[in-house]
Amino acid sequence: MAIPVLMPRQGQSVETCILGEWVKKKGDAVKVGDILFSYETDKASFEEDAKADGILLDVFFAEGDEVPVLVNVAVIGAAGESVEEFRPGGHAAPVTEPVEVAETKAETVAAPEAKTVAEPTGKVKISPRAKNLAEKSGVAYQLLQGSGPEGRIIERDIEAAAQALPKFTPLAQEKAKAEGLKAGEMATGLGGKAVAKDLISYNPVYSDDFEVKKLTNMRKLIAKAMHNSLQNSAQLTHHMSADARTLMALRKNYKRALDAGQISQNITINDLVCFAVIKALKKFPQVNTHFIGDSMRWFKKVHLGLAVDTDRGLMVPAIKNADDLSLEGLSTQMQAIAGQCRKGNVSPELLASEAATFTISNLGNYGVEMFTPVINIPQTAILGVCTIIPRPKDLGDGVYGFVPMMGLSLTYDHQDSMAAKQRFS
Amino acid sequence: MPKSQFIDPSEVRKAGEITFQPIPVNQYNKTVEEEKANFSNEDLLRIYRDMVVIREFETMLNLIKIRGDYNGIAYDHPGPAHLSIGQEAAAVGMAYTLGVEDFIFGSHRSHGEILAKGLSAIAKLSDEQLMQVMESHFDGITFAPVKNGHSGTVKELAIKFLIYGTLAEIFARETGFNKGLGGSMHAFFTPFGVYPNNAIVGGSGDIAVGAALYKKVNRKSGIVVANIGDASMACGPVWEGLAFATMDQFNELWEGDMKGGLPLIINIMNNQYGMGGQTCGETMGYNIAARIGAGVNADQLHAERVDGYNPLAVIDAYKRKRAILEEKRGPVLLDVLTYRYSGHSPSDASSYRSKEEVEAWEAQDSIAGFGRELVKAGVATEDQLAGIKSDTINLMETNLKLAIDDKVSPRMDMAKYPNLIGEMMFSNESVDKMEDRAPEVNHPMAENARVQQLTKKERFAFDENGKAHSKIKTYAYRDGIFEAIVDRFYKDPTLIAYGEENRDWGGAFAVYRGLTEALPYHRLFNSPISEASIVGTAIGYAMCGGRVIPEIMYCDFLGRCGDQVFNQLPKWQAMSGNVIKMPVVLRVSVGSKYGAQHSQDWTALTAQIPGLKVVFPATPYDAKGLMNAALQGTDPVIFFESQRLYDMGEMFHKGGVPEAYYEIPIGEPDIKREGKDVTILTIGATLYRALEAADQLQEKYGMSAEVIDARSLSPFNYEPVLASVKKTGRIVISGDASTRGSFMKEMAQTISELAFDDLDAPPVVVGSRNWITPAYELEDSFFPCADWIIDAIHEKILPLKGHVVKNNFTNAEQIRRNKLGV
Repeated sequence: MAIPVLMPRQGQSVETCILGEWVKKKGDAVKVGDILFSYETDKASFEEDAKADGILLDVFFAEGDEVPVLVNVAVIGAAGESVEEFRPGGHAAPVTEPVEVAETKAETVAAPEAKTVAEPTGKVKISPRAKNLAEKSGVAYQLLQGSGPEGRIIERDIEAAAQALPKFTPLAQEKAKAEGLKAGEMATGLGGKAVAKDLISYNPVYSDDFEVKKLTNMRKLIAKAMHNSLQNSAQLTHHMSADARTLMALRKNYKRALDAGQISQNITINDLVCFAVIKALKKFPQVNTHFIGDSMRWFKKVHLGLAVDTDRGLMVPAIKNADDLSLEGLSTQMQAIAGQCRKGNVSPELLASEAATFTISNLGNYGVEMFTPVINIPQTAILGVCTIIPRPKDLGDGVYGFVPMMGLSLTYDHQDSMAAKQRFS
Repeated sequence: MPKSQFIDPSEVRKAGEITFQPIPVNQYNKTVEEEKANFSNEDLLRIYRDMVVIREFETMLNLIKIRGDYNGIAYDHPGPAHLSIGQEAAAVGMAYTLGVEDFIFGSHRSHGEILAKGLSAIAKLSDEQLMQVMESHFDGITFAPVKNGHSGTVKELAIKFLIYGTLAEIFARETGFNKGLGGSMHAFFTPFGVYPNNAIVGGSGDIAVGAALYKKVNRKSGIVVANIGDASMACGPVWEGLAFATMDQFNELWEGDMKGGLPLIINIMNNQYGMGGQTCGETMGYNIAARIGAGVNADQLHAERVDGYNPLAVIDAYKRKRAILEEKRGPVLLDVLTYRYSGHSPSDASSYRSKEEVEAWEAQDSIAGFGRELVKAGVATEDQLAGIKSDTINLMETNLKLAIDDKVSPRMDMAKYPNLIGEMMFSNESVDKMEDRAPEVNHPMAENARVQQLTKKERFAFDENGKAHSKIKTYAYRDGIFEAIVDRFYKDPTLIAYGEENRDWGGAFAVYRGLTEALPYHRLFNSPISEASIVGTAIGYAMCGGRVIPEIMYCDFLGRCGDQVFNQLPKWQAMSGNVIKMPVVLRVSVGSKYGAQHSQDWTALTAQIPGLKVVFPATPYDAKGLMNAALQGTDPVIFFESQRLYDMGEMFHKGGVPEAYYEIPIGEPDIKREGKDVTILTIGATLYRALEAADQLQEKYGMSAEVIDARSLSPFNYEPVLASVKKTGRIVISGDASTRGSFMKEMAQTISELAFDDLDAPPVVVGSRNWITPAYELEDSFFPCADWIIDAIHEKILPLKGHVVKNNFTNAEQIRRNKLGV
């Protein structure tokens, strides 16, 4: 008995997923638990495993297809079983390249060539139907010369104009001219026109000596989020450093305790920093906030965003109610969630930028001495944690010594004057 | 003219003279004492009581109208009240002998007649029958307010019910006899034999004739009384009703037990005024209305004048006239002399008559006079009479309080149920036959020569090679109509058809050929050339429960039955609160070749009137299907045909016109040809010219036209048309009616509203010119033709490459024509 493989629904708000990669191919034998394919939501990537033993009889979507959730993606069954009843939408097989149906529009009423006038004379006369079509196909009808009764612009004028329409939007046209760009393969504008971002460069030096690799959905989203953050907030970063001796001593104690089997969790420097930040946030609630235009959300609890670098890109899952956690608890949760991120099975809800109230990004492991972390808006601040390096310090009585100092880079949104007052202890 | 009747020139050219019998005037001269043998004391007291009830009822309304108060009960009644104070003896005398199965029809001034007939019916019905009537009328809604707390006899309760139901109706209460939809001038109550009163003067003059026809044709017991005013004797439709009612054929041609006159009394309630016009001496010339009988038939309608101020004189006349009707020597005309003290309406200051005149009549008041007679004859004491009066006042007060109480007697809740009246406009029933009995026919349908002939005809216009069959072999439009009608004649025993030349000739357009042989006279006959009576009698016939197909030949003659088609036929279903059904299919043929008064398409006139269904099939398949649907329904349908169409074979329906019964739902347009560039919506015979235009558009301009046949005008489902316009973006509406104010304009406006965003050009109407219809040879300059449609498309919708126009469809020309009104 053949069974369908559904595109799972990851989170209530997810409507479609992008099919990532087929691990199994049509005709492969599969066993329960075998990874069949990977897929991505807006927020995360996942893998779907087989729920039955059998042959992967057919697959209905290709890699890169956008698939509505809960729709059949494939069928597992015994060889020779029919798959047709599982095919989404009945008959068509979207796996194969759709055949371009050349529209053989019988020559009906001789379509006039689109003519334009230099300036609209008086009121532009256009039929409601033509106007609708103009708006849909992006034809600027104001300058068209109508071929209808008394010069009325009618449907056929818009159709003709749409045919003759430049392949670029006005902006794209200008940009293409100025920068010597050409329309790429994709045209994402109204009526199939290329907009500025669809333009690509044909460089005389390297010609086409490159490979265009499409960004994964996740990468596109990260790019968008980063850009959005910088466009929509007034960010500035303060760099300071903090004496890390106590911190390191604590770390050592915990390490000893772990080795001695007194505790079970390996408490890292990052855990300690995060724990300290949570405590600090309780003292300075003005940065434990969201900026939402004309008002602020002040949170009573701390939901700590934790930047996690993964193969798929940067993810920032939230630790809910982090201020309720003990140091050990916090450490355990952070470890677990980072692991989920790397495996790609973190809940999309936790990845929303709105899920966290404040974010910590720790680049200390990479030896970064200072950086300007980008706020995960609508959060109002992010703390960048840098590496620990020895710096000279006045130890008192004119004695200077090298002390391990940890770099801290706090980016905050200057739109929020409250956050500007934040100082780190 | 039947062949059986020979017009012998030597007979009819002989010299001679017409002689008349004397017409009796006020011949009754008995006293109460002398009548004691014929009436019990109770009877006489009941006559007195009935008159008092009417007087008090009308007095109450008069006080409410002029003072807003009756015995301390305040009420404002903004509606009409045409009162009959003074006419009580005439009403009670008329109704006294009538049984429940006798029907009365009335006028705008008929409260008294309703009450008199109601009281008479109550006296004759058993308690069980009365309870059944009261409890079943609108499921007891009218009964409930008077039933509550009643102590007394069932007859007393029924009298309360009568007063209350009438009053609530006058005050437009949902608990009224007709849910308040009829009102003062149209109130009626069929279970007591009270049929519609009519706000159009003389409106009952032809409708009542149809009711008498129904009784005769369907062998129903009882007689019909048409209560009409003296002034209505000037109305054409009343004369037409008289002409219809006195046709020789009832005696000369109708056979067996059908032979004989109609059971009808034309009862002129002669109060001597028509509004302010004095009929004797000013506005009429008959002097004594009974004289009219002498001019109508050889029996002089058995006419006589009766003193309507003496109830016993009227009762005496009714007893004698009833005997005449039972001998099938009707109809009868009675001129019942009476007088109203009240004005035409409460706003009437009686400036047209002297105070002395009114006082002189009051001095001879029928109620006071009859009371004195009763006392003199020892039938009653003064105290008894006073008791009747005070009981009546109580009766009025009780019912007035109930009828004006908004809780007990609410009006229709139009806020809560905004479509309530809309739901009453049509009964929308599907009924095979109006009565279950064997239809009277002369032979089985299969033996009918026409039916047999049709089996040999080609039911599709073309052979398998697309070649048209010869005209003689082709099953045509007229055959489609025939087939539906003959089928119904063999199904529904109540179905009758009449009009000019309907028998023998087979109808002017040969639709009925073959029916003459199949049907006895009383089911198919020739009427007088008298459209008001043709339609008016059909209304009366249908009101009583029959199904009928009146035919008026040319559409142009609709004007001759304007009141019947505009005021009566469409209104009675809703005005009765859906008590009455109106299964009337009025056949109307649009002419051609016959000039200005025989070629007009007046579909818009009928489609504009709420309450009519209007269809105009253009193919044999649609004609049969729509006629079947019309005859299966219970609503009035104006069935338009066209003389351009009778010969047409079926060109669209695959497989031709089915032999079996089928219906085409009224209101559904039909796509006759699919296309994608422009829609042409046609009404009636214009369909074929639109198809010609579609051919030319395709051949010359590569433009594919979708042609839709409206088939119905009202109701009309716009959805298929809107779907077509969504596709094409363009629409022309064409028909043979003169353009201005036509139904095409109505459609164009509706489409503009509903499809505005889909339109690439305004909907364009291509109708006939706003002229007289010229002679056949000039018709191409008057009726829309294919090249008009193409020119209009080119000019107003989509300029066609290389097209040279022949007709002027420019905006400037349209403005010019409108300025001139042509």
